[in-house]
Amino acid sequence: MIPGNKDTRDGIIFSLPFLVVYLAFMIYPLLSGLYISFFKWDILSTASFVGLDNYRTLFSDEKFYSSLWHTLQFVLMTTPTLLVAGFLMALAITGSSPWKGLMENVFFFPYIFSMTVVSTLWAWLMQKDWGIFNQVLINIGQNPVSWLTNERLAMWSVALTTLWWTAGFNMVLFGAGIKQIPKEIYESAAIDGATYIQSVRHITIPLVSSTTVLCLILQIIASFNVFGQVYVMTGGGPHGTTRVLVQYIYETGFKFFKMGYSAAMSYILFLIILMVSILQYTLLGRKENA
Amino acid sequence: MKKLTFSKKQLLIRCIELLFILIWVFPLLWMVITSLKLEEEVITRTFSFWPSHPTFANYIKAFTSTYIVNWMGNSFIVSLMAMLLTLIIDAPIAYAFAKIRFKGRNILFWAVMGGMMVPFQVLIVPLYLQFNSFGLINTLAAAYLPRIALPIGIFILKQFYEGIPSDLEEAAFIDGASRYRIFAQIILPLGQSAMATVIILSFINAWNDFLWPLIVINDTIKYTITVGIANFQGTHGTQYSLIMAGAAVASIPQIFFYIFFRKKIIAGIATSGMKG
Amino acid sequence: MKKQILLVVLAAILASGMLFAQAAPETKAEGPIEITFWSLFTGGDGEFFDAMVKEFNASQSEIVMKNDMVKFDNYYTKLTTALAAKTAPDVVVVHQGNLLNYVPSGSLLALDSYVDATTLADFQQAPLDACRFDGKLFSLPFDVHPIVMYYNKDLMAKAGITKVPQSAQEFIEASQKVKQATGKWGTAIDNTTGVYKAYTLARLFMSMIAQQGGSLLNADATAPAFNNAYGEAALKWLQDLVHVYKVNPTELDYDAAMNTFKLGEAAFYFNGVWATGTLEQTAGLNFGAAPLPPIMGGEAAWAGSHTLAIPVQKNQDPKRVEAAMTFINWMTSHGEMWAKAGHIPTRKSVAQKSEMKALPYRADYAAAAAFALPTPRTAAWEEIYGTLSDKLEFAVTKNQNPKAALADMEQTVKNIIASY
Repeated sequence: MIPGNKDTRDGIIFSLPFLVVYLAFMIYPLLSGLYISFFKWDILSTASFVGLDNYRTLFSDEKFYSSLWHTLQFVLMTTPTLLVAGFLMALAITGSSPWKGLMENVFFFPYIFSMTVVSTLWAWLMQKDWGIFNQVLINIGQNPVSWLTNERLAMWSVALTTLWWTAGFNMVLFGAGIKQIPKEIYESAAIDGATYIQSVRHITIPLVSSTTVLCLILQIIASFNVFGQVYVMTGGGPHGTTRVLVQYIYETGFKFFKMGYSAAMSYILFLIILMVSILQYTLLGRKENA
Repeated sequence: MKKLTFSKKQLLIRCIELLFILIWVFPLLWMVITSLKLEEEVITRTFSFWPSHPTFANYIKAFTSTYIVNWMGNSFIVSLMAMLLTLIIDAPIAYAFAKIRFKGRNILFWAVMGGMMVPFQVLIVPLYLQFNSFGLINTLAAAYLPRIALPIGIFILKQFYEGIPSDLEEAAFIDGASRYRIFAQIILPLGQSAMATVIILSFINAWNDFLWPLIVINDTIKYTITVGIANFQGTHGTQYSLIMAGAAVASIPQIFFYIFFRKKIIAGIATSGMKG
Repeated sequence: MKKQILLVVLAAILASGMLFAQAAPETKAEGPIEITFWSLFTGGDGEFFDAMVKEFNASQSEIVMKNDMVKFDNYYTKLTTALAAKTAPDVVVVHQGNLLNYVPSGSLLALDSYVDATTLADFQQAPLDACRFDGKLFSLPFDVHPIVMYYNKDLMAKAGITKVPQSAQEFIEASQKVKQATGKWGTAIDNTTGVYKAYTLARLFMSMIAQQGGSLLNADATAPAFNNAYGEAALKWLQDLVHVYKVNPTELDYDAAMNTFKLGEAAFYFNGVWATGTLEQTAGLNFGAAPLPPIMGGEAAWAGSHTLAIPVQKNQDPKRVEAAMTFINWMTSHGEMWAKAGHIPTRKSVAQKSEMKALPYRADYAAAAAFALPTPRTAAWEEIYGTLSDKLEFAVTKNQNPKAALADMEQTVKNIIASY
């Protein structure tokens, strides 16, 4: 691009600071994690090499499957809802509402709070006996709801909390995408008699598709890694029905001290996320190019 | 007639908007309301919305019987260092990815992006042993160092740098400027808004980190606020009003941060989505 | 913007300054030796513990004890990683049931040469023996905390119950009477996961199997031993309270169970003795405490025991070990202060103290220490305990067929033991 062919040298020099850090704090521990996954090791005693045993155990571990399934449930619950919520919010803040500035701030605001604060707050809102949600229900003559202790509801409650917490992030991404769309397109559509819904469907949605892909990938990665909210709000209960994979990995590693097994499971999770991301990228990328 | 239905529809939409604004604000409001109540008023069968005798007792207890001030100070140090170091290492490589055609660039880029998909739990044990061999256990440095390699930051900066016209660079190059001067004098100043986003993301990231500081920091007084608050919950049994007071205090810095940098935060995140 | 960046840089310089200030080695002149301690008392007993440490520091001038409290949930995570890195503090708390996770790897110091015979003789035999492995002593018991029964005297009076129920039959009749007479719950046994798992179910299950003469695991803790008539009776009883007699609420977590009892909405409440201190502080609660009744016939009750141990360090400083031993000795011999939280002290001399005898409730359940069940000796205990709690929670919530539930639990426990 710039004449004088020092690109390779410059590329390396500019990349170096990051790469050193990346090697030290990402690649190296990642590889030693892989190494650990071939051992049976309680972190205190001497490790013993077990080959692929940890991976073999994993495929017959009922708890591994159920935890993976709970994680998938969370991904399936949150991905569409958070994308749709973010998109609707973005429509609201880019529309003609007199409150759009206020809405942008209000919807984004929860995102800045820490996981611990958000989770303890919502666990309190949803507390069965004294939480405000149930107090309101009781006052309007309804039965209180076991938000966090009913196996059908608990995961949804965690998903709802996550929606409140992070949908604003998606809103900002979508908002930026929508603002990029030239006004003229909408104007000419309006002249052709298109309703608001029609123009959203035929103009906005197709034209923000690249943002959608970005949001989708970020959201799926985040949802697969879910841990904190579940850990604080339900502790994995009731009877283990919200125990997610990262929680199981954490417990196996840091409560039961099966380091090798924990590392093996982390690797499987990593591979799953990697595959889903690549699949998404190629599928959606192809569609976009077509 | 047509006009009337139109405004009716408008009214309905405004109402829905208002409803959602209230829904979004309410949890935070409730956090504050709860924190002003005495625990006896919280755990009771006679529900009251407002505190009957508003009290700062919980806040006083939070400040006097815990290290909450130290925790906030620690979180500040950790987050500031994380943010600064992230910027120092992320900006040059993002520039390289955006503008320098070097061999292996694409492979390197995807290798870096792949880092986003690694669950942090995979890294904890090796990292712990690594930091132990550096002698950094129980230091704040240990809390932020593993968090400074922020692939999403590189992604955001790269997106932005790609949008800077190459003419500018080429002109500078013809004038005899080196790559370093181009980076320092053209790219960095032009990329400020994207940098602000990265600053903010890394700050929020570091501030919210929980599991790693929990494991790597031993002394209560050196805890970050997220870890401190999580412990807080246990030390006094589950006392909701006290926990809410702690949560409210813990959130004050972020609220100020948001008020001051609001525009930058939102504009910054938006940049990353533009040509994603 | 320039200004803002300047500001950030300034702040960062400031921050790094503070950092170096912190990293600077602590140069200390001759003075008291500072030793460190990690504890896990976050269930309401933490305040009593803090007070003890303060008193210890005030009582002498050679040693300053620095206590760091870690939330129970995260305690062993931190302890184990720190032991692996040899960065553990001078003294730690380890539950008797968790000792086996640390003893085989040589992470804890053998204490035999540091304790004299008179001191040893002052400890109650059973909790002391639980700290011995292959004849060596690895920690000293600080307390015993069995599961006990708390009862609400007002509710019992309203229902016309004059005697604390003993048998399963009496117990259920009393619970039903309370429900009929007052509309309140008979029992508040937590049966779902909240901040904690439904450990109470596992504790009661284990106790009631032992009350029939059985035990949860076999003698050398290598196989489950509960898939039999004993286990079935125990599980069925826990299920029937909720589903047949309907005297215990469903979807009740640990905090909710405690609050239900505190608010006077349940007559009988089962928890470890650590709840006593908290219940005492509850205004308007007129309650009593008793050892776990022989619901299944015999006397037995699950019990934990906090023990104090000294981690092995890279360079073990004999002075610090000595200071640590002084601390442990002081703490155990001032058990009457710890008893304020509800725990049962482990030293015979403490039981004789007038302060100890003056404490209400403790004497009522002190007898429970005699039939306390020690935790099975297996490194897999932590996982077995958590998994059993989950499975029991499921079985009780769903009123699962006891035979099927037990078979499933047996298989799971077998797999867990095999994986260690």
